[in-house]
Amino acid sequence: MCKRFIAILSALLVCAVSFAQGYTGGVKGTVVNRAGRIPVSGATLTLVKGGEQIASTTSDAEGKFLVENLEDGVYAMTVMAPGFTDINVNVTVDKGFVKDLIFVSMVETQTIENLDDSSFAEFDMDDSGYTDNPTILFGQNDVYTNIAGYGFSSVRFKNRGYNSESQDVLLAGVNMNDAITGYSPFSLWSGLNEAMRSTETSMGNETADFGVGGFNGQTNIQAVPSSVRKGWRFSLLTNSALYRFRAMVTYASGELDNGWSYAFNASARLGGNDWVEGVYYRSFAYYLGVEKKFGNSHRLSLVSFATPGQRGAQNASTQEVYDLMGDNMYNSNWGYQNGKVRNSRVRKTFEPVTLLKYTGNPLENLEVNATVLWRTGFNGYTALDWYDAQDPRPDYYRNLPSYSFNDDEDYGRLDDVKYEISKEMWNPAIKDYANYQHLNWDRMYNVNYNSIGGRSKYALEERHVDQNDFNVATSVKWRQSDLFTLTAGINARINRTENYKKMNDLLGGEYFVNVDQFAERDFASNESVIQNDLDYFLNNGHAQNITKGQKYGYDYLAQVRKVNAWGIISLTKGGFSAIGAGTIGYTGYWREGLVRKGLFAGTYDEVAALNEKYNLTGTSRELKSNGETSFGRSETAKFLTGSLKGQLSYVFVGGHRLSANLGLYKDAPSFTNSFVSPRTRNTLVGNLKTQKTISADINYQLSTSWMNLRLTGFLTQIYDQTDVMSFYDDSQQSMTNFAMTGIAQRHMGIELGVKVPLPVDGLSVAGVLSFGEYIYTKNFKGKNPYMVQTVDNSAEVIRKEEIPYWVSHPSFRTVVMDGETMYDVDNDGNPYVKGQNKHYVPSTPQLAAEIALNYRTKSYWFFELNTQFFARSYLDMNPLYRTHVACAGPDGIETPAEIAYMASQESLFLPGKSHVKDHFLLNASIGKSWYIQRKYSIGFSLNANNLTNNRGFKTGGYEQTRLIKSSSYDRYYRFDPKYFYMQGASYMLNVYFRF
Amino acid sequence: MRKIFIFVAALIAVTSCGLKEEFQPVFSGTPGNPPAYKYYTDDDFFEIISIAQLSKMYTTGKPFEVEDDITIKGVVVSTDQPGNFYKSFYIQDETAGIEIKVGKNGLYNEYLLGQTVYVKLQGLTVGMYGYKSGNYGGMGMVQVGFADSTGEYETSYLEMSYLVDKHIFRGDPSQPAVVEPVVITERDLPNPKTDSQATNKYVGRLVTLKGLKYEDQIFCLLYLNSSKDKKSYTNRVFLSDTNGIDTMGKTHGVTTWAMSKNMMKDYLLAGYWDSCKIGSGQDFVKNPDGTDMTLGDLKGDGSYPDVEKAAYSVSQYFKMGSTEIQVRTSGYSKFADKEIPRSVRDGSATLDITGVISLYQGAIQFTVNNLSDFVVNGKPLE
Repeated sequence: MCKRFIAILSALLVCAVSFAQGYTGGVKGTVVNRAGRIPVSGATLTLVKGGEQIASTTSDAEGKFLVENLEDGVYAMTVMAPGFTDINVNVTVDKGFVKDLIFVSMVETQTIENLDDSSFAEFDMDDSGYTDNPTILFGQNDVYTNIAGYGFSSVRFKNRGYNSESQDVLLAGVNMNDAITGYSPFSLWSGLNEAMRSTETSMGNETADFGVGGFNGQTNIQAVPSSVRKGWRFSLLTNSALYRFRAMVTYASGELDNGWSYAFNASARLGGNDWVEGVYYRSFAYYLGVEKKFGNSHRLSLVSFATPGQRGAQNASTQEVYDLMGDNMYNSNWGYQNGKVRNSRVRKTFEPVTLLKYTGNPLENLEVNATVLWRTGFNGYTALDWYDAQDPRPDYYRNLPSYSFNDDEDYGRLDDVKYEISKEMWNPAIKDYANYQHLNWDRMYNVNYNSIGGRSKYALEERHVDQNDFNVATSVKWRQSDLFTLTAGINARINRTENYKKMNDLLGGEYFVNVDQFAERDFASNESVIQNDLDYFLNNGHAQNITKGQKYGYDYLAQVRKVNAWGIISLTKGGFSAIGAGTIGYTGYWREGLVRKGLFAGTYDEVAALNEKYNLTGTSRELKSNGETSFGRSETAKFLTGSLKGQLSYVFVGGHRLSANLGLYKDAPSFTNSFVSPRTRNTLVGNLKTQKTISADINYQLSTSWMNLRLTGFLTQIYDQTDVMSFYDDSQQSMTNFAMTGIAQRHMGIELGVKVPLPVDGLSVAGVLSFGEYIYTKNFKGKNPYMVQTVDNSAEVIRKEEIPYWVSHPSFRTVVMDGETMYDVDNDGNPYVKGQNKHYVPSTPQLAAEIALNYRTKSYWFFELNTQFFARSYLDMNPLYRTHVACAGPDGIETPAEIAYMASQESLFLPGKSHVKDHFLLNASIGKSWYIQRKYSIGFSLNANNLTNNRGFKTGGYEQTRLIKSSSYDRYYRFDPKYFYMQGASYMLNVYFRF
Repeated sequence: MRKIFIFVAALIAVTSCGLKEEFQPVFSGTPGNPPAYKYYTDDDFFEIISIAQLSKMYTTGKPFEVEDDITIKGVVVSTDQPGNFYKSFYIQDETAGIEIKVGKNGLYNEYLLGQTVYVKLQGLTVGMYGYKSGNYGGMGMVQVGFADSTGEYETSYLEMSYLVDKHIFRGDPSQPAVVEPVVITERDLPNPKTDSQATNKYVGRLVTLKGLKYEDQIFCLLYLNSSKDKKSYTNRVFLSDTNGIDTMGKTHGVTTWAMSKNMMKDYLLAGYWDSCKIGSGQDFVKNPDGTDMTLGDLKGDGSYPDVEKAAYSVSQYFKMGSTEIQVRTSGYSKFADKEIPRSVRDGSATLDITGVISLYQGAIQFTVNNLSDFVVNGKPLE
């Protein structure tokens, strides 16, 4: 009460002083909800100048406000309203005029509140070569991204079909995309929703003040204390889809009289969920920030945050397994141990990020930003490891009924008795069979108990990717006049990432032996060759015995260096604006092996020296060089990168805006896609090139009091992508490395977002549509991607050729003869090609739509009901199935039937009327905020997703790489693909308390 | 204000209920180590019969499924650890030894050498592998496995963990029997034409043979393409005592117990087997000009692109007195590429071996567990 009195008194005093001085300047406008331009009443507006609060007011019932008697100058205006995100804008009062801001748009808190990582499932995709991350841009100022960003995340929607790597995510101006993989690093700050709430975004090819960006937009999280909403906030959340419970507390001081700002945010996310057994969170997060304003034009912020914790992961399985278990959410990663569910795939992370940011305005029209950021810590991911023992995975293909019997006799699987027994074993109703349906921890422990000398045959490894990432980002923005603005910057990055694995749990044993059992298959007689740490072996005469916590297997550094300069020139005249932007940069990286592997002991000279030093020549331990090295520094891959962008836009009277963007990009391939087998050797993929992209979009936007609309058309062509994977090739009976170069894609489509108020006050309808065609194409020279396949154990090249059916596969003309359909052939016996079946960029719906009905009352209730439709999503393709070898089969003869079977790409949506319902989702949400004594705020939101409990929705999947020989030895069959499904009906309840 | 606290407290209570329920099945720490397996004794089984008794139930060419609740009991005498046994193990009692066709890798981890194992036979199939009729044939080995519904063999592997757990039971591993191999003489050797486990107690057991002389001869079957029918003569090359011996003799240059993938590749690329014909004696594959096709014809650019480079088992021939013994070693064994001592090969020394004696189409075969089971001049090989 006392504070309130003082505040009122101060305000009165300020007003009195202002009035006494008789200024004529001021600020006016209307506070509106950005979604629908609905007036926001009761919003509090505060103007600060020189660290002092000059004025304060509230918006009226129509959202209007007016502050008068202001001296000329720049004011920091803060607008706060219940249920909306606070906004800070700089207002310039000039020449004594009342500045008309027209609309001050606020974003509903609810939209953002939902947008934590509970929207994104965590999947375990490491072993498959399939990788993904959330890729939705979270726009705060765009009707399309406001809806699609949250609404489509449950189906793992990829914006415009682009990979996660293409979306630039920045923190305080520093690009945070992973230096090794390029992935968006959302997990670094998940659980810190409040501290990371303030973001700036650009879409598609647009530029932003913080960078030129790529073709898939940019998001800059401000992350500094002054961007965190002032006051205390507590929230509790319970969620049935990912983790059970989240508690979060946030405090931000706002800017104090002495120029300091403080903020902290902490959270805990705990428990499992209703759908996927074994998935759990035990994750914590903290954010600490302090900021000091020096004078009127300099700010320095120091921030540190991290999300220490662990979480269990899910795995994909084949449809056969899901059907056997009667559950598309089956997770093969876990099993019972002493009656407890234990997950073998647990991600354990602690990656603190520390940043120091300077922002200054040395001149009124010049803004300078500089950030130094350091990311360190560890990122581990456990997995089962075993040596010379049975594969422990419950859904290993030999454990399934399909391994014993197939209706098609050509599979040579004719044992119907074992088939029936195997089916019985997978009966989920019989609890005694749990150890066959899930991991059998008891068996693994008992094997280790009985192992002579205590040598573990099963163990839990922890694969580490531990980064030391040092970044500097600087930028200046010079507004020469209302006509001309120049923004430019320089970024630099030094990344040193250690990749290794260490022993997490010996599962009842005493040690694990550091040898490569895959090498042992081919070189069993030579103890030297099978060593993971050859130097240890040569110095000690025996392989290293690994105990808990020790590194083993592989250990190497990924060293990445990047520097990038950028500039943006912006010209504005009336409603017209033109932007030209460009970047130029250097990317270089190399591998630095920290252990010498027996398979790739070194160059010919190095190996000769080792043989001589350790007297190996002529013995069974003699080393032979294949010219490949695992130890020491590799050649440096160097790339000159750059981009050019242009934008033209025009704002017409009546809120219409038309804009067009064009961008040309030249990006370095990621480190992970540049080494043939980074865990084992220094060998770079041959013929590495930069990825080239040309992207254009054209946009129409309409912002009026009755309608908010955006329509975009986009076209993007990407060339020279690289991909690397490792898999067992049945046709070679070897573990192989597969490097693809020259991959090209075309992304073309439209986006539509529209929001229209309905005649009933507070009621509006919104809809979005994303419709595109994202396909693989041939490269510049009209060719398919090129592959080089090498044997993992020897680096021997076994295939070098184009992948003929990667981009598409032919469809052949058929004829019906004697009632039988067969392929039509010419006189030479060659089939007639009817056309080409396109192959699509996978794992995202290429058609997505939502229509939503929103109702918001003046008493702060809100309701939403929406339905979503998704279609045209495809399975991730394995290149092996698109080769001549796989299509021809063991007999080497390629037939139309084999091509049609082997090279085709599967749709994730099943055809037919009975599966129409699988395309639809129905969601609802409700929320309410209460204000108590105008000091406290309490509210809740409840989301109910997938109300129809649709459990047939595949969100992604990938093909396995294995081949099955036909019993007639004339063709191959594929292994079944593995899928991920979306959870059924789920809820999320969030309650918050703020003051 | 009070209402707020009541509301928050109620919410915590609700979510806490969820937590309690959730933390029960989803355990995010490390549970304690699970208990050791229960080990079985004779009392756990209805009727235990000997291996010889079981073998006597078998009639050549007539595999049968055991209907009665009977069990055989034996100690494990083979190990797949060095890689010379594959997916199965032998148990023996006083009367004979028998192979249990489990169909899984790493069996030595589960069934330790010397550990007593019970095989509950009801529902399993007893059959023979390696029988061949006629003058050039003879007996094979009685085995325990599962019915082979394909009819290709008399038994199949159990393969499924469920079947394995239902039929194979471990005795106490803390008291493993020290399996002393019986040293047998030529007179004790089985007659491969007529004997089986039912009639010769050493068949399928761990025995020691002494004083074996090297015969300077091998047998090895190569496949041109493992993806094609391995039974087709067009896919086979026999390195035998008759095919292609003009270059390297009857050993084809192979002086090791077997051939790993890399050794096989080295020999092939060296051209040692260029004169070996493809096919069998009756059906050699022909070149377009009518001549017999040889491996040399597949040389191509020198890499023999159409010939599979894989590990291959080799039978090295020895004589015990006048009886021929095939010492068969897997190309996947850890000692595949170990040289047979020169003194053995040149006849200046003899070989003592310990391993499982078996029968295959009228021949006596011998399989060792490890390299140290070969003894020359009283010294195990290493």
